[in-house]
Amino acid sequence: MGLPISPPPPAPAGLLDRFAAERVTGALSGPHGCFYFLDGAVYCIESTAAPGLGSRLTAAGKLPPQGWEHAAEAAGERRTGGRFLVEEGWLTQGELEICHLAALLDAAFFALELPPEAASFTPGTAHWLGVIRPVSITALQQATARRRALLDRLQPWAAADTSPVIPAGTPVPAATTRRQRRLLDRADGRHTPYELARLLGESAFATLLDIRLLAAAGLVLVPPPPAPLPRRRPGACLDAPPAPATAPHPAPAPQRSVPDIFDTTDPNIALLVRLRTALEEEL
Amino acid sequence: MAQMETALSDAMSSIEGAVGVALVDYTSGMALAALGDNQALDLNVAAAGNTDVVRAKMRTMEMLELTGSIEDMLITLTNQYHIIRPVTGKSGQGLFLYLVLDRKRANLALARHRLAKVETDLEV
Repeated sequence: MGLPISPPPPAPAGLLDRFAAERVTGALSGPHGCFYFLDGAVYCIESTAAPGLGSRLTAAGKLPPQGWEHAAEAAGERRTGGRFLVEEGWLTQGELEICHLAALLDAAFFALELPPEAASFTPGTAHWLGVIRPVSITALQQATARRRALLDRLQPWAAADTSPVIPAGTPVPAATTRRQRRLLDRADGRHTPYELARLLGESAFATLLDIRLLAAAGLVLVPPPPAPLPRRRPGACLDAPPAPATAPHPAPAPQRSVPDIFDTTDPNIALLVRLRTALEEEL
Repeated sequence: MAQMETALSDAMSSIEGAVGVALVDYTSGMALAALGDNQALDLNVAAAGNTDVVRAKMRTMEMLELTGSIEDMLITLTNQYHIIRPVTGKSGQGLFLYLVLDRKRANLALARHRLAKVETDLEV
Protein backbone atom coordinates (compact mmCIF):
# COMPACT_ATOMS: atom_id res chain seq x y z
CA MET A 1 0.00 0.00 0.00
CA GLY A 2 1.23 3.46 -0.75
CA LEU A 3 4.26 4.53 -2.60
CA PRO A 4 7.64 3.91 -1.04
CA ILE A 5 8.63 7.44 -1.94
CA SER A 6 7.05 10.88 -1.93
CA PRO A 7 4.77 11.54 -4.89
CA PRO A 8 6.88 12.15 -7.95
CA PRO A 9 7.12 15.50 -9.70
CA PRO A 10 4.96 15.89 -12.80
CA ALA A 11 6.13 13.91 -15.77
CA PRO A 12 8.10 15.21 -18.65
CA ALA A 13 5.20 15.42 -20.98
CA GLY A 14 6.60 13.85 -24.17
CA LEU A 15 4.98 10.45 -24.33
CA LEU A 16 1.50 11.47 -23.20
CA ASP A 17 1.46 14.48 -25.52
CA ARG A 18 2.37 12.23 -28.40
CA PHE A 19 -0.46 9.86 -27.51
CA ALA A 20 -2.88 12.79 -27.45
CA ALA A 21 -1.64 14.08 -30.80
CA GLU A 22 -1.89 10.65 -32.39
CA ARG A 23 -5.40 10.18 -30.94
CA VAL A 24 -4.61 6.70 -29.70
CA THR A 25 -7.08 4.29 -28.12
CA GLY A 26 -5.89 1.72 -25.61
CA ALA A 27 -4.22 1.31 -22.24
CA LEU A 28 -0.86 2.75 -21.23
CA SER A 29 0.58 1.34 -18.05
CA GLY A 30 3.48 2.84 -16.15
CA PRO A 31 5.11 2.34 -12.76
CA HIS A 32 2.51 4.39 -10.85
CA GLY A 33 -0.68 3.60 -12.71
CA CYS A 34 -2.52 2.82 -15.90
CA PHE A 35 -4.12 5.30 -18.32
CA TYR A 36 -7.03 4.37 -20.58
CA PHE A 37 -7.23 6.42 -23.76
CA LEU A 38 -10.02 6.98 -26.23
CA ASP A 39 -9.06 9.00 -29.30
CA GLY A 40 -6.18 10.61 -27.44
CA ALA A 41 -8.22 11.67 -24.39
CA VAL A 42 -7.95 9.95 -21.02
CA TYR A 43 -11.19 8.52 -19.64
CA CYS A 44 -9.92 6.39 -16.77
CA ILE A 45 -6.78 6.19 -14.63
CA GLU A 46 -5.98 3.50 -12.14
CA SER A 47 -3.20 4.43 -9.74
CA THR A 48 -1.51 2.33 -7.12
CA ALA A 49 -1.34 5.33 -4.77
CA ALA A 50 -4.86 6.76 -4.95
CA PRO A 51 -8.13 5.06 -3.96
CA GLY A 52 -10.14 4.32 -7.08
CA LEU A 53 -13.76 5.15 -7.85
CA GLY A 54 -14.92 1.84 -6.35
CA SER A 55 -13.23 2.42 -2.99
CA ARG A 56 -14.50 5.98 -2.86
CA LEU A 57 -18.10 5.07 -3.62
CA THR A 58 -18.07 2.11 -1.26
CA ALA A 59 -16.57 4.18 1.58
CA ALA A 60 -19.16 6.90 0.97
CA GLY A 61 -21.89 4.27 1.36
CA LYS A 62 -23.11 4.71 -2.21
CA LEU A 63 -22.34 1.14 -3.23
CA PRO A 64 -23.34 -1.99 -1.31
CA PRO A 65 -20.48 -4.30 -0.33
CA GLN A 66 -19.40 -6.22 -3.45
CA GLY A 67 -21.35 -3.74 -5.56
CA TRP A 68 -18.21 -2.72 -7.42
CA GLU A 69 -17.34 -6.34 -8.20
CA HIS A 70 -20.88 -6.98 -9.42
CA ALA A 71 -20.61 -3.99 -11.72
CA ALA A 72 -17.31 -5.28 -13.09
CA GLU A 73 -18.85 -8.67 -13.83
CA ALA A 74 -22.01 -7.20 -15.30
CA ALA A 75 -20.07 -4.84 -17.54
CA GLY A 76 -18.35 -7.74 -19.29
CA GLU A 77 -17.37 -7.21 -22.87
CA ARG A 78 -19.77 -4.32 -23.37
CA ARG A 79 -17.73 -2.05 -21.08
CA THR A 80 -20.75 -0.36 -19.61
CA GLY A 81 -19.95 -0.62 -15.90
CA GLY A 82 -20.73 3.05 -15.32
CA ARG A 83 -24.20 2.72 -16.77
CA PHE A 84 -24.77 -0.41 -14.66
CA LEU A 85 -24.02 1.56 -11.44
CA VAL A 86 -26.62 4.14 -12.41
CA GLU A 87 -29.22 1.62 -13.57
CA GLU A 88 -28.95 -0.27 -10.28
CA GLY A 89 -30.05 2.97 -8.61
CA TRP A 90 -26.88 3.20 -6.52
CA LEU A 91 -26.03 6.66 -7.75
CA THR A 92 -27.24 9.22 -10.23
CA GLN A 93 -25.59 10.05 -13.53
CA GLY A 94 -24.44 13.40 -12.12
CA GLU A 95 -22.91 11.77 -9.06
CA LEU A 96 -21.18 9.22 -11.25
CA GLU A 97 -19.65 11.95 -13.42
CA ILE A 98 -18.51 14.05 -10.48
CA CYS A 99 -17.08 11.17 -8.44
CA HIS A 100 -15.44 9.68 -11.50
CA LEU A 101 -13.67 12.92 -12.36
CA ALA A 102 -12.58 13.41 -8.76
CA ALA A 103 -11.03 9.93 -8.72
CA LEU A 104 -9.45 10.48 -12.13
CA LEU A 105 -7.83 13.77 -11.08
CA ASP A 106 -6.52 12.18 -7.91
CA ALA A 107 -5.02 9.21 -9.75
CA ALA A 108 -3.51 11.51 -12.39
CA PHE A 109 -1.51 13.30 -9.72
CA PHE A 110 0.44 10.12 -8.98
CA ALA A 111 0.32 8.32 -12.32
CA LEU A 112 1.58 11.17 -14.50
CA GLU A 113 5.14 10.30 -13.54
CA LEU A 114 5.68 8.11 -16.56
CA PRO A 115 9.23 7.43 -17.72
CA PRO A 116 8.88 6.36 -21.37
CA GLU A 117 11.15 3.37 -20.89
CA ALA A 118 8.92 2.02 -18.10
CA ALA A 119 5.64 2.49 -19.97
CA SER A 120 3.93 -0.16 -22.05
CA PHE A 121 1.00 0.44 -24.37
CA THR A 122 -1.68 -2.07 -25.33
CA PRO A 123 -3.72 -0.76 -28.26
CA GLY A 124 -7.45 -1.24 -28.13
CA THR A 125 -7.68 -2.27 -24.47
CA ALA A 126 -10.65 -0.61 -22.76
CA HIS A 127 -11.73 -0.29 -19.13
CA TRP A 128 -14.88 -2.11 -18.05
CA LEU A 129 -16.28 1.10 -16.54
CA GLY A 130 -16.70 2.55 -20.00
CA VAL A 131 -16.20 6.10 -21.12
CA ILE A 132 -17.87 8.49 -18.67
CA ARG A 133 -16.07 11.79 -19.17
CA PRO A 134 -12.83 11.89 -21.14
CA VAL A 135 -10.30 14.59 -20.18
CA SER A 136 -7.51 15.97 -22.33
CA ILE A 137 -3.93 15.30 -21.34
CA THR A 138 -3.23 19.04 -21.32
CA ALA A 139 -6.01 19.70 -18.80
CA LEU A 140 -4.74 16.88 -16.59
CA GLN A 141 -1.18 18.17 -16.69
CA GLN A 142 -2.26 21.70 -15.80
CA ALA A 143 -4.47 20.50 -12.97
CA THR A 144 -1.70 18.29 -11.62
CA ALA A 145 0.84 21.13 -11.81
CA ARG A 146 -1.41 23.38 -9.72
CA ARG A 147 -1.92 20.64 -7.16
CA ARG A 148 1.82 20.04 -7.04
CA ALA A 149 2.42 23.74 -6.39
CA LEU A 150 0.06 23.55 -3.41
CA LEU A 151 1.93 20.56 -2.01
CA ASP A 152 5.34 22.07 -2.72
CA ARG A 153 4.57 25.10 -0.56
CA LEU A 154 4.69 22.64 2.35
CA GLN A 155 7.92 20.97 1.22
CA PRO A 156 9.60 21.15 4.68
CA TRP A 157 6.97 18.70 5.94
CA ALA A 158 7.33 16.26 3.05
CA ALA A 159 8.64 13.61 5.45
CA ALA A 160 5.08 13.28 6.76
CA ASP A 161 3.92 11.88 3.40
CA THR A 162 5.22 8.38 3.81
CA SER A 163 5.52 7.76 7.52
CA PRO A 164 2.75 6.59 9.86
CA VAL A 165 0.62 9.52 11.00
CA ILE A 166 1.14 10.15 14.72
CA PRO A 167 -1.15 12.79 16.25
CA ALA A 168 0.81 15.11 18.52
CA GLY A 169 -1.87 14.75 21.18
CA THR A 170 -2.13 18.48 21.73
CA PRO A 171 -5.60 20.05 21.86
CA VAL A 172 -6.88 20.56 18.34
CA PRO A 173 -7.30 24.27 17.68
CA ALA A 174 -10.22 25.74 15.84
CA ALA A 175 -8.20 26.38 12.70
CA THR A 176 -8.58 22.86 11.41
CA THR A 177 -11.09 21.72 8.85
CA ARG A 178 -13.61 18.95 9.36
CA ARG A 179 -11.57 16.77 7.01
CA GLN A 180 -8.43 17.36 9.03
CA ARG A 181 -10.18 16.52 12.30
CA ARG A 182 -11.47 13.32 10.71
CA LEU A 183 -7.92 12.43 9.70
CA LEU A 184 -6.65 13.11 13.22
CA ASP A 185 -9.39 10.86 14.59
CA ARG A 186 -8.36 8.01 12.34
CA ALA A 187 -4.61 8.46 12.77
CA ASP A 188 -3.35 5.72 15.06
CA GLY A 189 0.39 5.91 14.55
CA ARG A 190 0.37 2.89 12.25
CA HIS A 191 -1.15 4.08 8.97
CA THR A 192 0.57 6.33 6.46
CA PRO A 193 -1.39 9.12 4.74
CA TYR A 194 -1.80 6.88 1.68
CA GLU A 195 -3.33 4.14 3.81
CA LEU A 196 -5.60 6.60 5.61
CA ALA A 197 -6.85 7.85 2.24
CA ARG A 198 -7.64 4.29 1.26
CA LEU A 199 -9.38 3.51 4.56
CA LEU A 200 -11.53 6.62 4.32
CA GLY A 201 -12.06 6.30 0.56
CA GLU A 202 -10.86 9.85 0.03
CA SER A 203 -8.52 11.67 -2.28
CA ALA A 204 -4.91 10.67 -1.66
CA PHE A 205 -3.72 14.10 -2.80
CA ALA A 206 -6.06 15.93 -0.41
CA THR A 207 -4.95 13.62 2.39
CA LEU A 208 -1.26 14.32 1.73
CA LEU A 209 -1.99 18.04 1.68
CA ASP A 210 -3.97 17.91 4.92
CA ILE A 211 -1.36 15.82 6.72
CA ARG A 212 1.37 18.25 5.66
CA LEU A 213 -0.78 21.15 6.89
CA LEU A 214 -1.34 19.35 10.19
CA ALA A 215 2.39 18.65 10.48
CA ALA A 216 3.13 22.33 9.80
CA ALA A 217 0.67 23.27 12.55
CA GLY A 218 2.41 20.86 14.93
CA LEU A 219 -0.65 18.61 15.24
CA VAL A 220 1.05 15.65 13.60
CA LEU A 221 4.55 14.50 14.49
CA VAL A 222 7.05 14.44 11.66
CA PRO A 223 9.70 11.74 11.91
CA PRO A 224 13.12 13.22 12.64
CA PRO A 225 15.74 12.98 9.94
CA PRO A 226 18.18 10.09 10.39
CA ALA A 227 20.58 10.78 13.28
CA PRO A 228 23.90 12.20 12.11
CA LEU A 229 27.06 10.22 12.67
CA PRO A 230 28.88 11.02 15.89
CA ARG A 231 31.05 14.05 15.42
CA ARG A 232 34.77 13.81 15.81
CA ARG A 233 36.74 16.64 17.25
CA PRO A 234 39.35 17.86 14.84
CA GLY A 235 42.60 16.29 15.77
CA ALA A 236 41.06 13.70 18.09
CA CYS A 237 41.91 10.05 17.59
CA LEU A 238 40.31 6.92 18.96
CA ASP A 239 43.29 5.25 20.58
CA ALA A 240 44.64 8.36 22.27
CA PRO A 241 45.43 7.69 25.93
CA PRO A 242 42.70 9.00 28.23
CA ALA A 243 43.50 12.25 29.89
CA PRO A 244 44.93 11.70 33.40
CA ALA A 245 42.14 11.96 35.95
CA THR A 246 44.21 14.10 38.22
CA ALA A 247 45.16 16.74 35.78
CA PRO A 248 46.55 19.77 37.55
CA HIS A 249 44.33 22.08 35.55
CA PRO A 250 41.21 21.53 33.50
CA ALA A 251 41.82 20.01 30.11
CA PRO A 252 42.39 22.70 27.54
CA ALA A 253 39.64 23.26 25.04
CA PRO A 254 40.21 21.08 22.01
CA GLN A 255 42.20 22.95 19.51
CA ARG A 256 42.64 22.57 15.85
CA SER A 257 46.17 21.41 15.22
CA VAL A 258 47.41 22.98 12.06
CA PRO A 259 51.03 22.43 11.18
CA ASP A 260 53.05 25.59 10.94
CA ILE A 261 53.68 24.94 7.33
CA PHE A 262 50.05 25.89 6.63
CA ASP A 263 50.36 29.07 8.61
CA THR A 264 50.63 31.06 5.46
CA THR A 265 49.34 34.17 3.86
CA ASP A 266 48.94 32.53 0.47
CA PRO A 267 45.16 32.83 -0.14
CA ASN A 268 44.98 29.54 -2.05
CA ILE A 269 46.58 27.56 0.75
CA ALA A 270 44.53 29.40 3.37
CA LEU A 271 41.42 28.37 1.48
CA LEU A 272 42.56 24.76 1.41
CA VAL A 273 43.24 24.86 5.13
CA ARG A 274 39.78 26.25 5.86
CA LEU A 275 38.29 23.62 3.63
CA ARG A 276 40.20 20.85 5.38
CA THR A 277 39.11 22.13 8.78
CA ALA A 278 35.51 22.33 7.72
CA LEU A 279 35.64 18.78 6.36
CA GLU A 280 37.17 17.51 9.56
CA GLU A 281 34.41 19.13 11.55
CA GLU A 282 31.84 17.42 9.36
CA LEU A 283 33.31 13.98 10.09
CA MET B 1 -25.21 15.29 -23.36
CA ALA B 2 -23.71 14.41 -20.02
CA GLN B 3 -25.46 15.41 -16.84
CA MET B 4 -22.97 18.15 -15.96
CA GLU B 5 -23.38 19.88 -19.29
CA THR B 6 -27.14 19.53 -19.03
CA ALA B 7 -27.13 21.28 -15.66
CA LEU B 8 -24.81 24.00 -16.90
CA SER B 9 -26.73 24.58 -20.10
CA ASP B 10 -29.94 24.89 -18.06
CA ALA B 11 -28.13 27.55 -16.06
CA MET B 12 -27.14 29.44 -19.19
CA SER B 13 -30.65 29.40 -20.58
CA SER B 14 -32.56 30.02 -17.35
CA ILE B 15 -30.38 32.72 -15.81
CA GLU B 16 -30.89 36.09 -17.44
CA GLY B 17 -27.62 37.77 -18.34
CA ALA B 18 -25.46 34.64 -17.91
CA VAL B 19 -22.19 35.00 -19.84
CA GLY B 20 -20.57 31.78 -18.69
CA VAL B 21 -20.76 29.08 -16.07
CA ALA B 22 -18.28 26.44 -14.95
CA LEU B 23 -17.93 23.64 -12.45
CA VAL B 24 -14.44 23.79 -10.98
CA ASP B 25 -12.26 21.64 -8.72
CA TYR B 26 -10.66 24.02 -6.26
CA THR B 27 -7.43 22.23 -5.53
CA SER B 28 -6.47 21.79 -9.16
CA GLY B 29 -8.37 24.66 -10.78
CA MET B 30 -9.56 22.29 -13.47
CA ALA B 31 -12.95 23.12 -14.95
CA LEU B 32 -14.77 19.79 -14.96
CA ALA B 33 -17.33 21.35 -17.24
CA ALA B 34 -17.72 24.84 -18.66
CA LEU B 35 -20.18 26.56 -20.95
CA GLY B 36 -20.40 30.08 -22.22
CA ASP B 37 -19.04 32.79 -24.38
CA ASN B 38 -15.31 32.21 -24.48
CA GLN B 39 -14.85 35.43 -26.42
CA ALA B 40 -16.05 37.43 -23.43
CA LEU B 41 -14.05 35.50 -20.86
CA ASP B 42 -11.75 32.49 -20.84
CA LEU B 43 -13.61 30.31 -18.38
CA ASN B 44 -10.72 27.93 -17.91
CA VAL B 45 -8.45 30.75 -16.84
CA ALA B 46 -11.15 32.24 -14.63
CA ALA B 47 -11.72 28.84 -13.04
CA ALA B 48 -8.06 28.30 -12.25
CA GLY B 49 -7.53 31.86 -11.06
CA ASN B 50 -10.42 31.82 -8.63
CA THR B 51 -9.41 28.70 -6.75
CA ASP B 52 -7.17 30.71 -4.41
CA VAL B 53 -10.05 33.02 -3.55
CA VAL B 54 -12.28 30.09 -2.73
CA ARG B 55 -9.65 28.23 -0.73
CA ALA B 56 -8.79 31.31 1.30
CA LYS B 57 -12.42 32.05 2.09
CA MET B 58 -13.21 28.43 3.00
CA ARG B 59 -10.22 28.31 5.29
CA THR B 60 -11.12 31.56 6.98
CA MET B 61 -14.61 30.27 7.62
CA GLU B 62 -13.24 27.12 9.19
CA MET B 63 -10.92 29.17 11.38
CA LEU B 64 -13.72 31.42 12.57
CA GLU B 65 -15.74 28.35 13.47
CA LEU B 66 -18.91 29.98 12.23
CA THR B 67 -21.78 27.56 12.26
CA GLY B 68 -23.17 28.65 8.92
CA SER B 69 -21.58 27.54 5.69
CA ILE B 70 -20.84 29.56 2.59
CA GLU B 71 -23.75 29.65 0.19
CA ASP B 72 -22.09 31.85 -2.34
CA MET B 73 -19.58 34.65 -2.84
CA LEU B 74 -20.22 37.69 -4.96
CA ILE B 75 -17.59 39.65 -6.78
CA THR B 76 -18.88 42.84 -8.31
CA LEU B 77 -17.11 44.30 -11.32
CA THR B 78 -18.13 47.50 -13.04
CA ASN B 79 -19.86 45.56 -15.78
CA GLN B 80 -20.09 41.99 -14.51
CA TYR B 81 -21.09 39.97 -11.50
CA HIS B 82 -19.12 36.83 -10.65
CA ILE B 83 -20.89 34.42 -8.31
CA ILE B 84 -19.00 31.53 -6.74
CA ARG B 85 -21.03 28.79 -5.12
CA PRO B 86 -19.29 25.89 -3.33
CA VAL B 87 -20.97 22.57 -4.05
CA THR B 88 -22.11 20.95 -0.82
CA GLY B 89 -23.29 17.49 -1.93
CA LYS B 90 -21.29 14.55 -0.65
CA SER B 91 -19.95 13.68 -4.09
CA GLY B 92 -19.28 17.31 -4.98
CA GLN B 93 -16.86 18.05 -2.15
CA GLY B 94 -14.02 20.26 -3.29
CA LEU B 95 -15.96 21.74 -6.21
CA PHE B 96 -17.50 25.12 -6.83
CA LEU B 97 -19.82 26.62 -9.42
CA TYR B 98 -18.63 29.76 -11.10
CA LEU B 99 -21.18 32.00 -12.79
CA VAL B 100 -20.40 35.14 -14.75
CA LEU B 101 -23.25 37.59 -15.36
CA ASP B 102 -23.63 40.69 -17.47
CA ARG B 103 -24.44 43.32 -14.88
CA LYS B 104 -26.72 45.32 -17.16
CA ARG B 105 -29.01 42.38 -17.89
CA ALA B 106 -28.80 40.32 -14.72
CA ASN B 107 -31.15 40.13 -11.78
CA LEU B 108 -28.85 39.26 -8.94
CA ALA B 109 -31.40 37.80 -6.52
CA LEU B 110 -32.95 35.64 -9.19
CA ALA B 111 -29.56 34.51 -10.46
CA ARG B 112 -28.49 33.38 -6.97
CA HIS B 113 -31.73 31.48 -6.57
CA ARG B 114 -31.34 29.76 -9.94
CA LEU B 115 -27.72 28.90 -9.28
CA ALA B 116 -28.79 27.10 -6.10
CA LYS B 117 -31.07 24.97 -8.27
CA VAL B 118 -28.24 24.23 -10.67
CA GLU B 119 -26.24 22.89 -7.76
CA THR B 120 -28.96 20.40 -6.90
CA ASP B 121 -29.39 19.47 -10.57
CA LEU B 122 -25.71 18.56 -10.85
CA GLU B 123 -26.13 15.40 -8.87
CA VAL B 124 -29.39 14.31 -10.46
